[in-house]
Amino acid sequence: MNQVIVHPERCVGCMQCMAACATAHSRTRQLFSAIRETPLPRSRIHLGTGLYAEGFPNRCRHCNPAPCMLACLPGAIHRDMQTETVYVDPDRCINCASCAMACPFGVIRYHEDASAPPKKAVAIKCDNCMERQQQERVPACVEVCKSGALTFEDNSKALKRKTDQVAQSISAGIDVPQGSPSFTLLNTIKRAQIAVRHAAV
Amino acid sequence: MNYVIIGNGIAGVSAAEAIRQLDGSCGIFMISNESVEPYCRPMISLVLEGTVSASKLPIRGSSFYQSLNITPVLGSRVARMDVDAKILFLSDGKTLPFDTLLIASGADPRPVKAPADLANIFFMRNQHQVLKMLEALPRTRHALVLGGGLVGFKAACGLLHRGIDVTMLIRSGYPLSLQVDEIAGGMILSELTRRGLNVRVGTEVTAFKGINTVTGALLSDGSEICCDLVIIGKGVLPAVSFVPRDRIQVDQGIVVDNHLETTCPGIFAAGDVVESMDIARKTRWVNAIWPEAATQGRIAGMNMAGRAVVYKGSLSRNVIRIFDLDILAVGWVNAPDDPRFTVLSEHNQCLNTYRRLVFEGDSLIGATLVNRIETGGILTAMIQNEIPVRASKEKLLEPHLSLKSLMF
Amino acid sequence: MSCTYHQQTITEDGQLLLKKAQTDQIETVWDRHQAQLPQCGYCELGLSCRNCIMGPCRVDPFGEGPQQGVCGADADIIVARNLCRMIAAGAASHSDHGRDLVEVLANVAKGQAQGYAIRDPEKLKKVAAEYGVETLGKDILVIAGELAFAMQEDFGTRITELTLLKRAPAKRREIWKNVGITPRGIDRETSEMMHRTHMGVDNGWQSLLLQGLRNALSDGWGGSLIASEVSDILFGTPSPKPTNVNAGVLKKDQVNIVVHGHNPVVSEMILMASQSSELIQLAESKGATGINLAGVCCTGNELLMRHGIPMAGNHLMTELILSTGAVEMMIVDYQCIMPSLGKVASCYHTRMISTSDKARFPGMEHREFHPENAEELAKALVQEAIQNFDNRSRIYLPVEPVKAIGGFSVESIVGALGGSVAPLLDAIKAGKIRGAAGIVGCNNPKILHDYGHVTLARRLIENDILVVDTGCAAIATAKAGFKMPDAIQFAGPGLKDVCGALGIPPVLHLGSCVDNVRILMLAGALANALNADISDLPIAGGAPEWYSEKAVSIAAYFVASGVYTVLGPMPPIAGSLNVVKLLTEGLRDVVGAVFAVEPDPEKSAILIRRHIEERRKALGLGFHTL
Repeated sequence: MNQVIVHPERCVGCMQCMAACATAHSRTRQLFSAIRETPLPRSRIHLGTGLYAEGFPNRCRHCNPAPCMLACLPGAIHRDMQTETVYVDPDRCINCASCAMACPFGVIRYHEDASAPPKKAVAIKCDNCMERQQQERVPACVEVCKSGALTFEDNSKALKRKTDQVAQSISAGIDVPQGSPSFTLLNTIKRAQIAVRHAAV
Repeated sequence: MNYVIIGNGIAGVSAAEAIRQLDGSCGIFMISNESVEPYCRPMISLVLEGTVSASKLPIRGSSFYQSLNITPVLGSRVARMDVDAKILFLSDGKTLPFDTLLIASGADPRPVKAPADLANIFFMRNQHQVLKMLEALPRTRHALVLGGGLVGFKAACGLLHRGIDVTMLIRSGYPLSLQVDEIAGGMILSELTRRGLNVRVGTEVTAFKGINTVTGALLSDGSEICCDLVIIGKGVLPAVSFVPRDRIQVDQGIVVDNHLETTCPGIFAAGDVVESMDIARKTRWVNAIWPEAATQGRIAGMNMAGRAVVYKGSLSRNVIRIFDLDILAVGWVNAPDDPRFTVLSEHNQCLNTYRRLVFEGDSLIGATLVNRIETGGILTAMIQNEIPVRASKEKLLEPHLSLKSLMF
Repeated sequence: MSCTYHQQTITEDGQLLLKKAQTDQIETVWDRHQAQLPQCGYCELGLSCRNCIMGPCRVDPFGEGPQQGVCGADADIIVARNLCRMIAAGAASHSDHGRDLVEVLANVAKGQAQGYAIRDPEKLKKVAAEYGVETLGKDILVIAGELAFAMQEDFGTRITELTLLKRAPAKRREIWKNVGITPRGIDRETSEMMHRTHMGVDNGWQSLLLQGLRNALSDGWGGSLIASEVSDILFGTPSPKPTNVNAGVLKKDQVNIVVHGHNPVVSEMILMASQSSELIQLAESKGATGINLAGVCCTGNELLMRHGIPMAGNHLMTELILSTGAVEMMIVDYQCIMPSLGKVASCYHTRMISTSDKARFPGMEHREFHPENAEELAKALVQEAIQNFDNRSRIYLPVEPVKAIGGFSVESIVGALGGSVAPLLDAIKAGKIRGAAGIVGCNNPKILHDYGHVTLARRLIENDILVVDTGCAAIATAKAGFKMPDAIQFAGPGLKDVCGALGIPPVLHLGSCVDNVRILMLAGALANALNADISDLPIAGGAPEWYSEKAVSIAAYFVASGVYTVLGPMPPIAGSLNVVKLLTEGLRDVVGAVFAVEPDPEKSAILIRRHIEERRKALGLGFHTL
């Protein structure tokens, strides 16, 4: 089964995933009209900032067992066994924030949403873009990610690739280029810049 | 093989589900003194408040017992038990044998010293009590809430929401003194006061007044207060009256090992009745909260059905939303003033946020957040998993904390 | 954000005012920078392109996603185009500033600029002669008119090369000619740069970058140079003057007016108005003891250079200066004026005035200056500022000002040396001064405020390298106390001797950011005296805290003029290693100088010292191998 896989080392912090996610969960599904909607659609993927100002796409892992599900008082959080997706039922959600306390990744937000009853804040999190998936489209965040920090694939494939990479990197005497020299250069400079500031104070 | 579960709260329900998942053919019996289907106890205050109807309380479908092939024994209490013969004696005279037992009997409200046998004086522990309160509400003008703990606090909020004049008596200077520190408590108090709550600090009820129905209360400071509804929220005590203390060790609650087994083999305990190792305090503690009960029930169930699973310990945590304040408190928020502990805090009056973190060495052991609580779960996980903080501790104070900012 | 002020700025006034700003709920540039993190990696790498609407496009630096824009431009082309457009914008800014001064000069000649005058007729005649304007026996206003006309030709296309290129050493001009980057017209090069970066024009990343250098040269030897020279003609050529710097220059008991921006055309008139006895009396009648004019950013530098007007702060301080609550009026023209200022001022009584027809800002009153109304409008504004003194509430001026000396023009340096650069050359040859370095550029919230400038300056003077600086860098080192003669205590023994004998500081304030050309002229004069090229000299440039497009243009004309230049922040070019390599290595064979990027000012100082020692060795002077 395909799922969204995050490769944080490739995140360039462009926030395209956030805009795409908000648009995909808007009423109109179009960027230009989505930004005029009330309530304003909000992203369910959240770009965090690392210690060296690098990006990190933080998104629901659909854990199993899901701590949010165990903590949910009204039983509004459930798992779709077929897609391994943890959903929040906006009609059952009482906005108590118990799941905020449970989620070890801090990816649940509380606000009004096109999917929820009007004027009612509810817990909002990633739904794996099930609507898009039913239309045989990949999740919105993956579609816009041009640096490969978010992929939609079978976990075993991704793991195999990673395993091969590790294996190649230890192949004796052969220097296999890893990642992007440009991005490495940029990050080296950024790290140095921040390290200078830390050392100076 | 007969599994018997005392209690059909979230601990009991989670245990039954775990047992059934591992063992499709065993017999499961669930005993409850309440005759309704399993429901969400923390939400009863929302029924009082009027934002959730009682019909939304059940946590599992109406076919819960049937679909899991559980034999419910409802409306019964356990009077005593014979741990050698493995038999339970119920209050209605019936007996129930067991092979493996889970005590998930929960907790009972702590009584008050003053006699409280008048009508419209309530505890708030179960659905039935709240439904009775609802009947009394139309005639309620002034309510008195005893205690500033979670129950008293939620009761007061619910009544305020309904526009009822509420007076709250609290022993310490601010509500939720066990859950939050002084600054957060002060923020809560001022929010509640702003919404019309009357708070009386450092006094308690010595006697209730009224004929049949309560009409007022005499206070220890000599004053008198008029009220037509009283809610007692002075905390809870583990429900252990039927437990033979000579065979099963009971301290504040039932003592369990890291498989949630009591000192008597084959007898497990989970939920509000349990005294377990507190991860933050590193000592045994009763953490009577819903998510711990759910987790303990699940793990106890698995252990009972033969799959050994270790329970790491419990952690107190609460999230409270009142009007414009979101409060999240986790771990040991009121650790004593001791050089062992360092405290970082930030109170941003512009954003009306407050964050207070308690560290023991490199480990986070407690956190209080007021507003911007979305990433509180990350802090909870750090405490729970005892992850040492090697990046700057100040970083944890930032509201837009992300995992990446903690990776090093 | 609390308790992090020392992680934002090294300045005491900055730290204290940041705290005040937080108390007052003022959002600052640091807060907004924090809110932008993480910043878009495509943009940081220079790999996003918005030049046409087949796009916008971006290239995946990891090589799996798109490698070309819709048009087919690859990473090299996109990065080069983006960088070149930055140069074009920077060159356009300086040059447009220069054009405004030429217009004032033309208006003065026509007698249509009340209050303005030719304050340095000698310089007028000297520059006019360079432009081939006959000066003998002519009225200076006639000369001014003809010079203005001739300079306007430099902006256009009726010439084949810029007039003032003549000042460059012959060897340098030869290099430009051979490489094909001799700038032809000031506006022309910017125009052509924009043309070439349009979709489907120049898609050779090398030829794009060469045009970028030509465009930058049209700024350094054209627009900026004209701006600087005409400013001297109109307002006087700077000479050393004592002054004060930091937020403490604002006065508790006076009407404080702060000028912000770049062009002296407005600030000079405000200065004149603030010195009128009539307005000073008005101020006194309001209970003030006088009118205190202070500057921030480069228009402040212009006033500091010519009149010793104090300087309240540099780029990152502009919001914080307002949070003192002590500013009656801030008058701005253009460039580097954060659009947030109006909002900051709205928390205090400060009145914000915008003055340029080409620069408007939210939350500011627009009172447009033109040469013909400038004198009158300046008086009116100063009067309104005085009236605003009554509206002051609590003020916070937490520091005492630091003393500094400013006003070192090429003319005044040569004057101090006794009329020729020979004594300076002798000191360099003897190794008492190992070389010279220009520290230029801005502040940037990514860099600990002022740390880059101050650290680099300290290390260079310790190494007997004379520092000349401009713009926000000059204000930073002044605040750190390096612009007083007694700062020779921080200098190495040789530099200490030379500066001590001349009675000058080891770090010389050469002016505003258009005044970077003064550094070029000084370098040109040294090279000419040695009959060498600029790239042969033991000199270097550093921009440890730059942020703006103007800074890209400056750095590019430094390098294209043969000056090795070390940048602190990385320009958005890392997406193309070809471009990086060309700029940091390849250009050595093209223009005899390269860029370097080094975020750590301590290491930048080592790079500069190493470069200077290499040049000394090549010139046959005593050197140390590092």
